[in-house]
Amino acid sequence: MNPVLFPRTEEMLLSMVKAYPEARFMAGGTDLLVALRQKQKALPPLIGLERMEGMGDILREGDEISIGAACTLKEVASHPLTRQHLPLLCQGADSVGGPALRNMATLGGNLCTASPAGDTLPALFLLEARPELLSEKGLRTLSMEAFITGPGRTALLPGELLHRIRIPIPPNAPIQHFEKVGNRNAMAIAVASLAALIRMEQGLVTQARLAWGSVGPKVIRSSEAEAALMGKPLREESLKEAAFYAQKAVQPISDIRASADYRKKVSASLLQRLILYRDSDDKGERS
Amino acid sequence: MPTQISGNATESPSRSPMTIGLPLPRGDARAKACGREPYAADLFPENLLLAQALRSGLPCGRLLELDLEEARQIPGIVAILTAKDVPGSNRQGIIHKDMPVLVEDRIRYCGDPVALLIAENKEAIRSAMSCIRIHAEPSPGVFDLDEAMAENAPLVHEDKPGNMLAKATIQKGKPDFDACAAVVEGWFETPVQAHGFLETEAGTACLLEDGTLRMEVSTQSPFRDRLEISHALGIPFMQVHIHAPSLGGGFGGKDGATVQCLLGLAALHCPGRSVKMLWEREESFVAGYKRHACRMHYRLGALADGSLHSLHARLWYDTGAYAHLGPEVMELGMEHAAGPYRIPHNLTEGFCVHTHTPTGGAMRAFGVCQVSFAFESMMDMLAEKLKQDPLELRLRNALHRGDTNGAGVLLESSTSLAACLEGIRNHPLWQTRRQWQKEAPPFCIRGTGLAAVFNAAGYGGGVRDAAIAKIEMDVKGHFIVHNAVTDMGQGNSSAFLQIAGHILRQSAEALSLRQPDTRSAYPSGSSSAGRTTYTFGKALISACEELASRLINRAGLILFLQNDEGLVLEPGRVRHEPSGRSVSLEQLASFMSLEERVCLGQFIAPVCREVPDTSRGFFIGFPHVIFGYGAHLARVEVDTLTGRVQVKDYLALTDGGAVLNPSMFDQQVQGGVAQGIGYALYEDFITEKGVVKTKDFTTYLMPGSLDLPDILSLAPPVEEEESGPFGMKGIGEVAMNGPLPAIANALRDAGCRRIHKAPIMAEAVLGSLENR
Ligand SMILES: Cc1cc2nc3c(=O)[nH]c(=O)nc-3n(C[C@H](O)[C@H](O)[C@H](O)COP(=O)(O)OP(=O)(O)OC[C@H]3O[C@@H](n4cnc5c(N)ncnc54)[C@H](O)[C@@H]3O)c2cc1C
Repeated sequence: MNPVLFPRTEEMLLSMVKAYPEARFMAGGTDLLVALRQKQKALPPLIGLERMEGMGDILREGDEISIGAACTLKEVASHPLTRQHLPLLCQGADSVGGPALRNMATLGGNLCTASPAGDTLPALFLLEARPELLSEKGLRTLSMEAFITGPGRTALLPGELLHRIRIPIPPNAPIQHFEKVGNRNAMAIAVASLAALIRMEQGLVTQARLAWGSVGPKVIRSSEAEAALMGKPLREESLKEAAFYAQKAVQPISDIRASADYRKKVSASLLQRLILYRDSDDKGERS
Repeated sequence: MPTQISGNATESPSRSPMTIGLPLPRGDARAKACGREPYAADLFPENLLLAQALRSGLPCGRLLELDLEEARQIPGIVAILTAKDVPGSNRQGIIHKDMPVLVEDRIRYCGDPVALLIAENKEAIRSAMSCIRIHAEPSPGVFDLDEAMAENAPLVHEDKPGNMLAKATIQKGKPDFDACAAVVEGWFETPVQAHGFLETEAGTACLLEDGTLRMEVSTQSPFRDRLEISHALGIPFMQVHIHAPSLGGGFGGKDGATVQCLLGLAALHCPGRSVKMLWEREESFVAGYKRHACRMHYRLGALADGSLHSLHARLWYDTGAYAHLGPEVMELGMEHAAGPYRIPHNLTEGFCVHTHTPTGGAMRAFGVCQVSFAFESMMDMLAEKLKQDPLELRLRNALHRGDTNGAGVLLESSTSLAACLEGIRNHPLWQTRRQWQKEAPPFCIRGTGLAAVFNAAGYGGGVRDAAIAKIEMDVKGHFIVHNAVTDMGQGNSSAFLQIAGHILRQSAEALSLRQPDTRSAYPSGSSSAGRTTYTFGKALISACEELASRLINRAGLILFLQNDEGLVLEPGRVRHEPSGRSVSLEQLASFMSLEERVCLGQFIAPVCREVPDTSRGFFIGFPHVIFGYGAHLARVEVDTLTGRVQVKDYLALTDGGAVLNPSMFDQQVQGGVAQGIGYALYEDFITEKGVVKTKDFTTYLMPGSLDLPDILSLAPPVEEEESGPFGMKGIGEVAMNGPLPAIANALRDAGCRRIHKAPIMAEAVLGSLENR
């Protein structure tokens, strides 16, 4: 039997990593345990993160919200700071699985799994989140683009821990919209998702960020689609134009959940929903 | 020890007698809510061994050899058995004995068991599994209907040319479409559905010193299991002793042998030790029975006034690798193919086809929920063509008592479909549908759809459909109902308590129930076919009436009364009303021998007296004489950006004759509708070249609480079913048939093009909105 360890401090954690280089980190275990069960082999040593000091809190530090990697998705979705400043992330976190799962699964786990269907990832990309990594060499901070290197792959080095996720508070409270399409209303892996962060001034779009999940090996961005919205009111024509570029940008696959063709269509059509914000005021609220 | 469930419903139970027609709490509610109800999967007798089948993983081929030496050396492995170790016929199957316990030679689907591992623990099984090499010669297989029926297709069974397991027709009158004013035509397809019960296939077995093979197993057919085991393993059937605790769901999937013969085989090889088998979820998906996929072609014609005139239906059921009840499933579908309507001319042809895929078996509303999709879609297509109201069209053609149904059977039993349809006509959900449709929010369209459905109850012609009930009063004056038809969760054992309490005038705490046990109860058939409460309930009534009269007689003796006049049963006693004197049941019990305190009652379900000459190629099971009916309404919303469908409101009116317990009646309807919504919009068991792609609940999606609307169940004023207990008939299945056609019709009403294939996925709905 391999050990299951519960460090409380960084020093304890680093010494355990040293003692058991083949150990796996376990946060909520909702991805890890499923994967280990499928292997039908003996469990590797596990280093549980749930008792770690300073990994389960959500803080404001200057103009940033700093989220401990071991925060559950339930905490992320319901914390006053995230709800006020990062509704996009809350919506993403809230669409993962169901209530019981969100009480276990963590934001760090969702990032480290780096699934193309990870529901918090489009939000983290648009919010310019910066994963902070810890190892015996100290801390380093990456961009999301640098952190997620491919489907199921991250820039984490062996023994390196995702410690916190730092997210700058978006200035001037823009529209933050997330929609996930799955094959049922909960406990469903995304077939496609759209995250949008849009700033409107006097009825015109002055900033547009768009990201799609589940329609490519990583989160998909399209600068052309974003450009198509700029300087215009949110209307069917410009959203259609953006949709045209979205169709070109996504690289979906067909699998048991949906065909590539459907994913492509939906990636484009979901943009139409943004028209509901056309009369938003400068605070990003629907009127 | 056989388990007992207590009839206690509340903490401080009222002492009033249980009464038929009241929404009394279920007898198993407390035990199940507290997690105390023992299921077969929960049993861990001492000194336990585990058994697990090694499955072929190959959909089609020949088994050459198994390398077992290395695996046998693994510590903890007790035995690894192969076909050579099976002492009997090595064949199982409810009617058609074609399924090996362990494969000797031919592999017919990916879940075919090739070896049986018995071990002290899970780890040993796991290691052994990974080092057994299966030497098999793969061969080309047939994985869908087209491949199976192609010329020179490889055969699944050598004795079934063309892979045709069964072929039959029903002909009534002579269809003539030239005589019709309107004719509609269409292809329909329904998917394989999995039962998805919480408790997977499970049981424990032990070979006792006296040679008894004792088994506690999650089964819908404990008495028949003895025959299966005895035939497959070559042991005398009276030597097999089965106990069937409450099931954690069945829905048909535990009708027929699942773990029984494998477990029996394991126990025979390890005398004196208990052996347990509990299928993992993945194993259950691969090796468990499934609902038959079906392809249908329909042609339906009506006169100008909307009267149905002619039907030609062809049905192809994919029965998978083994027969199980394939022909019977097809035949029941054929018997219902014309819908619950008067139609003078009907030709229905059925084909039951083998493929190298997991075996189709029994599942709630077997055969029928497939054809319901077709005939109820056809009815709406016809209404559209005739520019008639779909509800009025159904009412015009609805079957009444005295009509002959589509299979040519004269309906002499209760038939209240019209009352169900009228209930819809008068309901606000129907009356306000156009207004509701107009109020659709942005990016959303709305529609309302109907379905009229029916489902036969009982085994049907040619099969004795009987039950023997037993009621016992113990020495304390408490009553024990010896149930003999398992309770899969549908609540029949609660109904039995209510029936016994009603007749014996006892309150819930004076009654308990023993789940089926082949040594203390009597053969009463399977828990299936909407027959459970109907058949056993009727037998129980006569047992209870006999016991009641014995108690009255004995009390009369003690109280020196010359006859029964004025003597009544009351909770805990028999009282003489005129004098107020009474004898407690405990006192009575002390005067009575065991023999006197036990009563049996039996019942044989009615059969068709004049079997019409309409069917060809049927083996058994035709025709049926009692049907439950229902009329369903679904209101759906479609998101026009994604094609996602949400059922917003659901209304089901059900004709089940008299209602014994309104809340249990509603639960059956709501459960059936939920499972039917799963069938309509979500559930799709997928194989690719015979390999299962949906082995777990992440890939096989069933609807959850957020996907289901509130389901409103109503019991309209209907005729009582004179032949049934207190006027009831079974309704466990009929609700399953409504959702798919009602939702398909609602989507059409919302403005989608008609959808012919289930489950109806968002992609198809989105496609059906293009170029409208
Ligand atoms: C039933 C079910 C439904 C699901 N539904 C969804 C869904 O709708 N959307 C979705 O996006 N996901 C879903 N998931 C996947 C999963 O729940 C999420 O990805 C979740 O966020 C993972 O978090 P966790 O804390 O459980 O991770 P764990 O399982 O503990 O870890 C996942 C991986 O990350 C590593 N890891 C975890 N934390 C760290 C850290 N701080 N530093 C370094 N490595 C770390 C682990 O070693 C492991 O390799 C579902 C899973 C299940 C079982």
